[in-house]
Amino acid sequence: METIIDLNEINQQFYSNHALKNISLKLKSGRIGLLGPNGAGKSTLLKILLGLISPTSGEGKVLSESIQSSKVKQRSFFGWGRNNFTLRGTQRGNERLRKKIGYMPEADALIPGLTGIEYVALAGELYGMPRAQAQRRAHEVLTYLELEDARYRRLEQYSTGMKQRIKLAQALIHDPPLLLLDEPTSGLDPAGRDAMLRLLLELGRDFGKSLILSTHLLADVEVVCEQIVILLNGSIRFQGNVDSIRSQQHDRYRLRIQGDNRDFCKDLQLEGIEILSENNRGELRVQVPKEWQTRNFFVLADHHQVILRGLEPDQETLEELFLRMVIVNSPTQVELATK
Amino acid sequence: MVNPQLEKSSLLHYRPWRGELSGSWRPTWAIARTALGLLSRRKLFWGLYGLSVMIFLFFFYGQYLQVFLEQRVTEENIRSGGLFPKNIKPETILHQLQNALQLNGSADTYANFIWFEGYIVMVILALIGSAAIGNDFHHGSLPFYLSKPIGPFHYIFGKCLAVGIFINLITTIPAVLLFIEYGFIDTWSYYWDNLRLFLGIIFYGSLITITLSLLLIATASWVKRTMPMVMIWTVMMVLGRMIQRWLVDGLHLRKEWRLIDIWNDLYLAGHWALGTPHEALRPPWQMQPSYHAALLVIGICIVTCIFYLRKKIQAVEIVA
Amino acid sequence: MNRSTSISPVTTMPPVDAMPQEFPVSEKAPPFNNPTKNILTPNLVGNDSLKQSPQNPILGPPILEFAQVTKSYGPVIGVNHVSLELRGGITGLVGANGAGKSTLLRLAGGQLRPNLGEVKVNGLSSWDWRAKKYIGYCPDSDAFFEEMTGFQFVETIARLNGYKKIDTRERTERVLEQVGMKDRAYRRIRGYSKGMRQRIKLAQALLTDPVLCILDEPLSGIDPIGRQELLQLFQSLAEAGKCLLISSHELEALEKLTNHIIIMVRGRIAAVGTLTEIRDLLANQPLAIRIDSDQIRTLAGLLVQSEDVVEINLQPDFLTSAKSATNSMDRSDGRNASLVVRVINPLHFFQQLSRWAIEECIEIRHLEALDDSAHAVLGYLLGGSGKT
Repeated sequence: METIIDLNEINQQFYSNHALKNISLKLKSGRIGLLGPNGAGKSTLLKILLGLISPTSGEGKVLSESIQSSKVKQRSFFGWGRNNFTLRGTQRGNERLRKKIGYMPEADALIPGLTGIEYVALAGELYGMPRAQAQRRAHEVLTYLELEDARYRRLEQYSTGMKQRIKLAQALIHDPPLLLLDEPTSGLDPAGRDAMLRLLLELGRDFGKSLILSTHLLADVEVVCEQIVILLNGSIRFQGNVDSIRSQQHDRYRLRIQGDNRDFCKDLQLEGIEILSENNRGELRVQVPKEWQTRNFFVLADHHQVILRGLEPDQETLEELFLRMVIVNSPTQVELATK
Repeated sequence: MVNPQLEKSSLLHYRPWRGELSGSWRPTWAIARTALGLLSRRKLFWGLYGLSVMIFLFFFYGQYLQVFLEQRVTEENIRSGGLFPKNIKPETILHQLQNALQLNGSADTYANFIWFEGYIVMVILALIGSAAIGNDFHHGSLPFYLSKPIGPFHYIFGKCLAVGIFINLITTIPAVLLFIEYGFIDTWSYYWDNLRLFLGIIFYGSLITITLSLLLIATASWVKRTMPMVMIWTVMMVLGRMIQRWLVDGLHLRKEWRLIDIWNDLYLAGHWALGTPHEALRPPWQMQPSYHAALLVIGICIVTCIFYLRKKIQAVEIVA
Repeated sequence: MNRSTSISPVTTMPPVDAMPQEFPVSEKAPPFNNPTKNILTPNLVGNDSLKQSPQNPILGPPILEFAQVTKSYGPVIGVNHVSLELRGGITGLVGANGAGKSTLLRLAGGQLRPNLGEVKVNGLSSWDWRAKKYIGYCPDSDAFFEEMTGFQFVETIARLNGYKKIDTRERTERVLEQVGMKDRAYRRIRGYSKGMRQRIKLAQALLTDPVLCILDEPLSGIDPIGRQELLQLFQSLAEAGKCLLISSHELEALEKLTNHIIIMVRGRIAAVGTLTEIRDLLANQPLAIRIDSDQIRTLAGLLVQSEDVVEINLQPDFLTSAKSATNSMDRSDGRNASLVVRVINPLHFFQQLSRWAIEECIEIRHLEALDDSAHAVLGYLLGGSGKT
């Protein structure tokens, strides 16, 4: 597994706004989820990874193209000030970087009036593919993404699901080793979301693409990603494998009860079981004493004429994990977890 | 890392692509082509383009007709009626006609031709501005372009290229055709004697191209939508002309007020390039500001547009 | 939190340190499964929350009533012969894109007029202007006067609602406080995040203190913290006795919020009720249940004898996603300890399984219905496989 992203003490400052603070990040190729609340610095980090802005200080490598801080660069005509594009000099390096990355923007980013195939082929040409190659490849990618039938239709007639897929197609056209996906499932209905996630998983797992998935839907990350990076207030809150920080208590269970569970709950408490939470769908989270046998749940349920529909060892979902990481402001917990 | 099982199960699986990617300049052509392609899908465009072709054909056959008539009617005299009948040589009439219409292969021919195309150029430019540029800002297509390995400069260059190609298609190229045609009608030496005119046409054309494409992209990125775009452009180009006439001819203000009409400025600059002396500008009763003032205004306009565009694209958030 | 939560409803959210826990939902809020013409059988097992509920909504008139409503746009049909009654609490509306969810919500909000049938809010037709004060409608579009501050925006809407100037200010302040935007209301909308925009939309909908709140896709594009806050807000509104009808694509979030769900498929209401009930009604799709045990062979032997079981899979392939793959890692010895059965008549099956566990001393470590989530149910109703 090669390292695709290696950032070293990256700082990004827009006037007084410290968008990124000392970001050091080493990521192996794979499927990576980038999480964080609004304003955590996710988009700034994405911009740096895309080579659209250069950091105020710090350096790093993305796909073995180096990222340099803006101090190194010289200003030039049409080079925007300090923190932005520069045309000559190191910008060429940034452009080389973007050739290796496919970016799927969150905004619609479609060109109304073009047909699907023209749009994707245009993307290929913008990446620098020869025209004939771009067209051939556009057909190939659209077939893979099951947009074959829609490829000669105009983009403004596309449904949300098709729009999202064609945005993925334009990012895949030049077969980049790294895909940056900004909210790829936003606006999709459950079926469309499944299809998109399946595609992403397949691209990552079976075709060796590295994915960076920036999303608010933690369930998506849970399905697709192996590693996560959580950003909070411009610094990295957590980075690594999800499972390594999931708090897993073996004495906790989630129960699903169908029926009137009041007496059942009372009896559970009599047995020394602590009920941590419950909701109106008959779901209970309980902490059991030692030497507890799950069979006893069934005995109790049988006794109270309720039906035990579910019994799972309690495992933290990514959402709970995220909220724990972000809301509960206790660094010690994270340190413990990362060890 | 390709999973063999998967390969078997789905025949149309994802395939890798290997190939060389070119530099950042070739894509500008793709941008320009796409913009022109989008324009060509509008019916309105073809209607307007037809009009501009008609103007060209009028000039083209006008020149031709003159020569044709000259050859037919040289021998005979025409008797004009009235109390004092007199014989007039048709040649004289033709010459008068030629000079009145300015179809004499002089600087005025070409400058007039381009001037006449003005209105149509303006309307089509409003169309192209909204179709190819304003839409990018309005529908958020910019992230699509700018997340590719091209800089904003390439993007603007590509769009300018499209606008430029189009403007030249309506102005410079027909003007050059007229120049060539007149050489055929006149004598071969016309080409050599009037090389200055040819270069003037080219300069005039490129000045129009640069100024208008920058101005157009700047306005389009500002107003974004078609209708406001057409309105602002009309105000700038058509109303500007009416206002300057009203101010100078009607209210007898200083002739420098004419400078607010950018198409007039370009006309002046064109005459300057074609080598017309300032006094010989037609119509003679119309006071025109000096060439240098016009050139200055155009220069200011170009610089302002560049700075505005620079600021505008800088502010685009590619990653939301 | 202990037992007491289920009796006395939680009106405020637990302190933040409790957040990672399951989102506790008060028992008061539950939606009332209206025994309408719909497919559902009455509650199989007593839903005592109904009796507890202060409004006792079953007896009252419905807040929102659709009577055989059809709405079409020219030849395109949006909502096809829909009948529905809502009496309170939170109701989730799910369905694919283009299933007619937004049309249904617009009809309920009085934004559209049905071609056939009638939509009534508190007994008045929703199209009637007098009914508007009972309705708070949050559209899914995100169009504001960007240069206004949040306060100005809500104030303007209040004026448009016809309140007097003195009234306006007071009402605006009240709703802004209700949605937790009081301190941020004096900033321009341009700078608002999606969550804040959603709150402002909600605030303007609450101006008239409506009984029915209609929210179209309120959760899309909101970060997890904002979402958590919004869910709490919805919860508190429901507790205040309002009837909330919420559409969302994010079934996980919706499932957390409510148990009462309307599923729309192709312009029609396919099912109304709690998920479990809806799932059990899908008789042609046997429920898949995962069972982990050290004695799965013994268990499988027993399962074979059950008439409810139609399929036993000893090498399940549900471990397709990254998530499930990690779940399977908790097998201590690497031996396969999971099996998946497909059962018809799940209620009976669970009872039987329970008996086996007791009588045959089988230690079941994990018992999970794999396809009774809203996601899977929707998948089945749309004709898919139900798998992710």
